[in-house]
Amino acid sequence: MISAPLFYGFSFFIIFFSLLVLLSANPIVAALSLAAAMVGVAGVFFALGAHFIAAVQVTVYAGAVMVLFVIVLMLFDLKRDESVSSALSRFLKIAVVGLILGLITGAVAMSGFDSSLQIFVHDPASITPTKKLATLLFEKYLFAFEVLGVLLLVIAIGVVSVSRIKGGTHAKS
Amino acid sequence: MQNLESFINIGLNHFLYLSSIVFTIGLLTVLLRKNLIVILMGIELMLNAVNLSFIAFSSYSGDIHGQVLVFFVMTVAAAEAGVGLAIAVAIFKKFKEVDISFFQKLKG
Repeated sequence: MISAPLFYGFSFFIIFFSLLVLLSANPIVAALSLAAAMVGVAGVFFALGAHFIAAVQVTVYAGAVMVLFVIVLMLFDLKRDESVSSALSRFLKIAVVGLILGLITGAVAMSGFDSSLQIFVHDPASITPTKKLATLLFEKYLFAFEVLGVLLLVIAIGVVSVSRIKGGTHAKS
Repeated sequence: MQNLESFINIGLNHFLYLSSIVFTIGLLTVLLRKNLIVILMGIELMLNAVNLSFIAFSSYSGDIHGQVLVFFVMTVAAAEAGVGLAIAVAIFKKFKEVDISFFQKLKG
């Protein structure tokens, strides 16, 4: 059972920094607030009992991915302001996204999930959730795990070759 | 009184509402911003929202398989961010600009 102040505190933290990503004009501010939002999401994961996933969230997202974003931003010399689309197209986009939000929340509200449903509490005497996750990952999902390793290797090579291209097939030499 | 009770007793629905709000903010970031890097950040935000609902469902149903799926989603998201940023670097080298309204023509 998560206490209400904890949940609402994390919620406001996450939503505030997500809005900052959307609204801030400076991309560096956007990157740092995205990192803060991810730390908030990791806190919610921890409160929900997914301790290992929370740790991975902090190290991979708030650590590695955000460092990558900030370094690439610093590589660019962003002097010009962003162009903005026309008022009509902006209004249409916001209206459509608002409709999607309404549909999702309406679906959740009408889904009839029992609000008295409690978080599944693991018996402390039995096997811990992280140990269970590791067993599952290295037994049932071993093949998918190895495929993921191959994917990361392919991505690493691909990223290096893509960032080295000069003009691609349309090179003017 | 029933309204107040559903406000204080945090259930699965509350996490799904939070997840949908964060997803919407991410979608708006992708649609409204023109900076390529900020658009990638919006995609990361959307993936995080989906992970949040995965973990909420997983821990409310006592099924740990959801956490395995979140682990996979995270790895693929990190790979996607890497590829996206590499494409951004390639585009910046060519156009000296990361504003997507300049890339309407793919042929340089």
